[in-house]
Amino acid sequence: MRRVALGGTLAIVAGVAVLVAAGSRTEAAAPQQATAPATPVAVPWPDEGTLKGPKQPIYFRHDVHATQYQIQCQYCHYSVAVASEPGIPSMQTCMGCHLVIGGSDTTSKVEIKKLRDAWNAKQPVEWVRVHYLARHAHFPHQRHVAKLGPNACATCHGEVQRMPQVFQANNIRNMGWCISCHLEHGVSRDCTVCHY
Amino acid sequence: MSESPQQPMNRRRFLTVVGASGAGAAVLSGCSTEKVQKLVPYLVQSEDQIPGLATYYASTCTECAASCGVHVRTREGRAIKLEGNPDNPISRGRLCARGQAGLQGLYNPDRVRTPMRKEGGAWKAITWDEAIKLLAERFGAAGAGLRIVAGQARGTLTGLMNRVAQAQGGALVRWEAFDRDAERAANQRTFGRGDLATYEFGEARYILSVGADFLETWGSPLEQARGFAQSHGFRDGAMARHVYVGPRMNLTAMNADEWLAPRPGTEVAFVLGVAHAVVARRGGDPRLQAAVATFTPGAVAQATGLAAADIERVAGEFAAAAPSLAVAGGIGAQYPNAVELCAAVNLLNLAAGNIGTTVRFGADPDAREGYAAIRRLQEEMAGGAVTAVLFHEANPVYALPASARFGEALAKVPFKVSTALVLDETAAQCDLLIPNHHALERWDDAAPRAGTFALMQPVMQPVFTTMHTGDVLLKVAQAIGGASAAAASAPSFEALVRATWQQLAAAQKAGDFEAFWRAALQRGGHYAAAPVQPVSLASAQVDATPAALGDGEFVFTAYPTSMLHDGRGTNRPWLVENADPVTKVTWHHWVEVSPATAKRLDVREGEIVRLASAAGTLEGPVYVFPGIRDDVVAVPLGWGHTEYGRYAAGRGANALDLLAAPAGPALPYVTTVGVTKVRNAFRALAKTEGNPRQLGRHIAEAMPLEHAAAGYTIKQSWEKLGNPEHEVNTEAELQAIEGFEEAFAAARELGNYAGEQPMWGLAVDLAKCTGCSACVTACYAENNIPVVGEEEVLRGREMTWIRIERYWEGGTDGQPVEGRVVPMMCQHCDAAPCEPVCPVYAAYHTPDGLNGQVYNRCVGTRYCANNCPYKVRYFNWKAYNWQAFPEPLDLQLNPDVTVRARGVMEKCTFCVQRIREAQHRAKLEGRPLRDGEFTVACAQACPSDALVFGDMHDPESRVRSLKQSPRGYHVLELLNVRPAVTYLAKVNHRPAPAAAAGHGAEESH
Repeated sequence: MRRVALGGTLAIVAGVAVLVAAGSRTEAAAPQQATAPATPVAVPWPDEGTLKGPKQPIYFRHDVHATQYQIQCQYCHYSVAVASEPGIPSMQTCMGCHLVIGGSDTTSKVEIKKLRDAWNAKQPVEWVRVHYLARHAHFPHQRHVAKLGPNACATCHGEVQRMPQVFQANNIRNMGWCISCHLEHGVSRDCTVCHY
Repeated sequence: MSESPQQPMNRRRFLTVVGASGAGAAVLSGCSTEKVQKLVPYLVQSEDQIPGLATYYASTCTECAASCGVHVRTREGRAIKLEGNPDNPISRGRLCARGQAGLQGLYNPDRVRTPMRKEGGAWKAITWDEAIKLLAERFGAAGAGLRIVAGQARGTLTGLMNRVAQAQGGALVRWEAFDRDAERAANQRTFGRGDLATYEFGEARYILSVGADFLETWGSPLEQARGFAQSHGFRDGAMARHVYVGPRMNLTAMNADEWLAPRPGTEVAFVLGVAHAVVARRGGDPRLQAAVATFTPGAVAQATGLAAADIERVAGEFAAAAPSLAVAGGIGAQYPNAVELCAAVNLLNLAAGNIGTTVRFGADPDAREGYAAIRRLQEEMAGGAVTAVLFHEANPVYALPASARFGEALAKVPFKVSTALVLDETAAQCDLLIPNHHALERWDDAAPRAGTFALMQPVMQPVFTTMHTGDVLLKVAQAIGGASAAAASAPSFEALVRATWQQLAAAQKAGDFEAFWRAALQRGGHYAAAPVQPVSLASAQVDATPAALGDGEFVFTAYPTSMLHDGRGTNRPWLVENADPVTKVTWHHWVEVSPATAKRLDVREGEIVRLASAAGTLEGPVYVFPGIRDDVVAVPLGWGHTEYGRYAAGRGANALDLLAAPAGPALPYVTTVGVTKVRNAFRALAKTEGNPRQLGRHIAEAMPLEHAAAGYTIKQSWEKLGNPEHEVNTEAELQAIEGFEEAFAAARELGNYAGEQPMWGLAVDLAKCTGCSACVTACYAENNIPVVGEEEVLRGREMTWIRIERYWEGGTDGQPVEGRVVPMMCQHCDAAPCEPVCPVYAAYHTPDGLNGQVYNRCVGTRYCANNCPYKVRYFNWKAYNWQAFPEPLDLQLNPDVTVRARGVMEKCTFCVQRIREAQHRAKLEGRPLRDGEFTVACAQACPSDALVFGDMHDPESRVRSLKQSPRGYHVLELLNVRPAVTYLAKVNHRPAPAAAAGHGAEESH
C-alpha cells in the first residue's frame, strides 16, 4: 500500500532519547547474542596506515561499536530489513551517543572530536564507500536479511564486527559470488531478478 | 542510490558519487568505472525518507488550470515521478502527458536560479534582500498604477495578490492564453450568468463537439477523457456516439465516430439546425422555438455546405439520445463569432434538456473576463497609467499575437517584474526577476471548482535560490507599511494557507482543524460535492451570420496541441519529443494542408510555404494531412519562442503571428491567409510514424458496434463483412504447428522455467484509447528514457519504449477519414523472434513471461531489433544519456532503473523494477501478490483506463478476463510469436470499411 507522507515534519530526536533507545535495543537483542561465544573486548589498535581497507576520514572502529559495546548492525544501518538500501547513520545518530561519550584514550578522543567538530560545523562526514555493486545490478538487502537471518550481514560483508577498519572481505562484485549462493539456496538465477 | 554513474553531482544531503581516481576502495572486478565513491550521511534524518524506498506526497498539478491531484514519488529527497492522486475527483489516479512533464519544469536547466535585476540591458544576480527592498520601494511608490497579472489558477495566493494590489489602489488582472472567454460571454447572454459549466461526458449518450478539443486542451482534459472513455468506450454492448464539427481533425475529432467539416465560420447555423430538430421533437420555450425556426436541414445545408441528409441524420440522432451533450469553445475553432457559437450550443443543450444533467452550473466559483482585461491593461500601459506591473504565471508578450503590440505598451511601464521560473518573453522585457518556487517546492492551494479544494506542499528542498512569491509579497507589503501591511500580514505564506484552510474547515463544519489539515495533506486536498444550480433562459438571441474571416484564399486556424498547450510546454523536452498525437511530428511546427490543396499548390511534405495574412506572415514546412478541409490551412500553436530556454527558444515559428487582435470578449484564432510556395526551400519533418496506412497488416483492428454487441470475434466480424478466410493451413503446416506446441510445452518445464510462475501480460482496449500519449511521457519518466533531439528523430532513432502508432483509414474514394491509434510497446512474445538471434543471450525469456534485456550483456549487434516484427527495440546509437539530462534534469532519474550507455539495446521491460519491488514487498509480508497491487507506468497514467496490466496466470486478474474478450487479438498474429500484449479491437458506429484491406497503399505524400 502506498504511503502518503505528511510534509514538513522532520524527526528531531534529542540525544537523550537516542541513548534510551540504544539501551533498549541492546537489551532486546540480548537473547540472540546469548548463544554466540563470549566476545572479547576490542583491543586498542592504533591506525598506522597498515590496516586493510580504505582509510576513512574518521577512524571509526566497527569492532569497538559492534563487539565491545554490542550495538546491533541495524541500529545504525536502520533500513536494511525494510528497503533495498541498508542506510548509513545520520550524523545525529552518531551524536546521540557521542554528545556524552567523548572517548577513553587519546586516539578515540581525537577521532570523536573530529565527529563533534563536523557536527558543529553542520558538515557531514564523507565516508569512503567500501562495498558497492555495478549500477546495472540491484541488490535488495531486505530480502536477503529476511532469508538469511541474523548472520545475513556477515555472509557477504565478512566479520565486520572484528574489523578495526572495514575492508571488503569477499569479492562481492563478482557475479559468481551471487550465483553460487543462489544455487546453494535453490533460489532464482534469472537475470532480470537483479539486472534491470 | 544508484544514479547515473556518469554524472557526478552534489547530492547536498545524501549519498554522493564523487569522481576521483585511484585511492583505496575495493578495486576488484572490472565491470564498471572504478572510482572512489563517497557515502555522505544526513545530518538529521528525515523520518519521511527511508533510503531505497519511495515516499509519496500528495499535491496538485499546476500545468494547466484543471488542477488535477498528483502523488509525487520521491526518493532520497528528490521528486522523481508524478503520478495521479486516486483521492482527487478530477484526476482519479491518472495524469496526462503535460502533468507528467511538470517534473521537467522543476528540474529545468534553464530555470532562473536567483533573483536578477536588469542593469544596462544585462541581467545581474542580486540577493533576495535587495530584490525585496527594490520591490517595496517601487510598489510603494506605484500607488494606483500597480497592476498584478496572474493566470487562471485561483487560491490563497490570488487573494493575497488582489489585496496587495488593492491596498495601493491598483488592480489584479487575471488572464491566461486559453481562458474560456467566449463561453463566459455566451453564458452571460443565454443564462444571465458569466460562469462556466462543468460537463458530464461519462453520462452522455450522444456527444456533439463543435470545435471543443475536450481530449486535448479545452476544459479539464483528463477528467473529460475519463468520462469519454466511460460513455464512448464499448461496454455491455453499447457505446455513446461522438460527432465532431470543425475545420480540421484534431485528436478529439480523430476519436469521433463522425467528423463533419462545415464551411468555416458557419458552425452556428449547423448547431441551430440540430436545435431545430430537437425543438421539433421536444418543444420548448417559445423564444427558443423562434430562434431556431428557420434552421431547417435545407437551409442549414445551404449555409454550411454540408449535405442536408447528414444534417438531418445527426440532428435526428442527437434529438433521440438522452441525455446528450453539446460542447463548444475550443481554441482551434474560435472564430470572431465564437460567442454566437457558444450561445447556440447553450440553446441546443437547453432544448435537449441537458442543463442540470450533462451540463451543470454552479461549480465555477468566479465569473471574470480574460482577454478583455488584458487588452484594457495594455491600453492603460500605453497611456502611461501603469507605473509598476508584476507578471505571475502569465506570458502575454508571447501568448498574444504580435500584432497586438503588447510588448510595446509594456515597454512604457517604468517598473516591470516577473516571477517566471524560466526567462520567458515577458520576463525578458522586465526589470526585475523574482523566480518563484516550483509547485513541488512550495505551499499553495487551488480551488478549481466549488467543492474541490486542492492543496500543494513542498516535497523537497528548493533546487535553486528561489523564493515563494507569496512570501515575497508578504515581505514587500510589510516593508511598504500602511494599508499594504495591514492587507497582507502573516508570518509566512504557509501560515496564510493554513489560515485559509482554517476558514474552510469551519465552513465545512470540521471539528478538529489539525485532523482536517492532516487529512487534507494526505489526500491532497478536501473534496466535497459541487452544488448544481438551476439556470433558466435569459435570452435566446443568437446571430447565425457566418463569421467574417477576411478575404484571403484560405481559412487559417491556429490550434493548440495536447503537448505544448499555449506554448508553456515547449521547454519540456519530454513534450517536444513526444509526437503530436495526430500528425506524429516532433520538434518543429508544421503547416497542414489537405492532399488536394498540396497537389494544387504543388507542394510535398517538408517543402516550405509562406502564409500571409493581414496581420503578418509565417513560413513553415508542409504537412499533407487528410484530416483538413481543402480550403483550410492550419498551424499548431506553442512554437516560435524567442526566449524560454534552450529547448524552446528559436524553434519553429509562432502561429499567432498571423492573427489580428481585435477588440471583443475573446481573441479569434481563425483568420484568412494567402499561401505561396517558397522555391527551393525544404525542412524535413521529424515524424515518428512509419507508413501512415496499415496496408492490410491488421495492426489497428476495429469492428462495427453490432458485431461487438453480438459478441463476434475479430475473425467472425471480418467474415460477416464479406471477407473470405484468408489463410488456410496445409496438412504439413498443421503438423508443424502441433510439433511446435509440444516442443514449446516441453521447454516450459526446464530448469528455472519449471513450476508455478506468474505470467505478466497487458491488455490494451482500443475502444478506450484516445492516443493522448500520457503513457509515453509516463514511460519516459519511469524508465530514464533519454530524449534524442530532432536530428536523431529524423534518423528514426527516438527511444520511445511505448509509442502511439496512428493509421489512417479511408480518406480516398469519398470515404470518410478515420484515424486509428495503437499503443505499441514490446509485446513480450512467448516465442520471441529477438531472443534466439542474440549471440550473447542478452535478449532472453524470463520464467515469469518477460522478454528480458540484460544491458550488461548486450554488445550491440542489433540483430534483435532487426528480427523484431513490432520494431519496439531501441538502440543507443550515441551516449544519449549524457546529453539528455543536463544538470539538474539528472536529479529526476529513477534510481531503480539502469541508465543505459551507448551501444546498448533497450526496450520496454513491463516496468520490471515495479514488479520486483512489489514482489519484495509481498514476500516480506508473507503473502502472494494481489492483482492490481501495482501496475506499470503506462497503465497507471492512462486517463481512459485503456491499459490493464497483471498476471495472466491469476484466474481472478482483470487482465486475464480482458484477454478473453471476443474483441481480443494480437498484432501480427499470423507470425505465431505469442505476444503477452492483447489488443481489444476498437468499436465503430459506422460499418467497418470492408474494402480497407484491399486499398490503402496510395497515400498522397
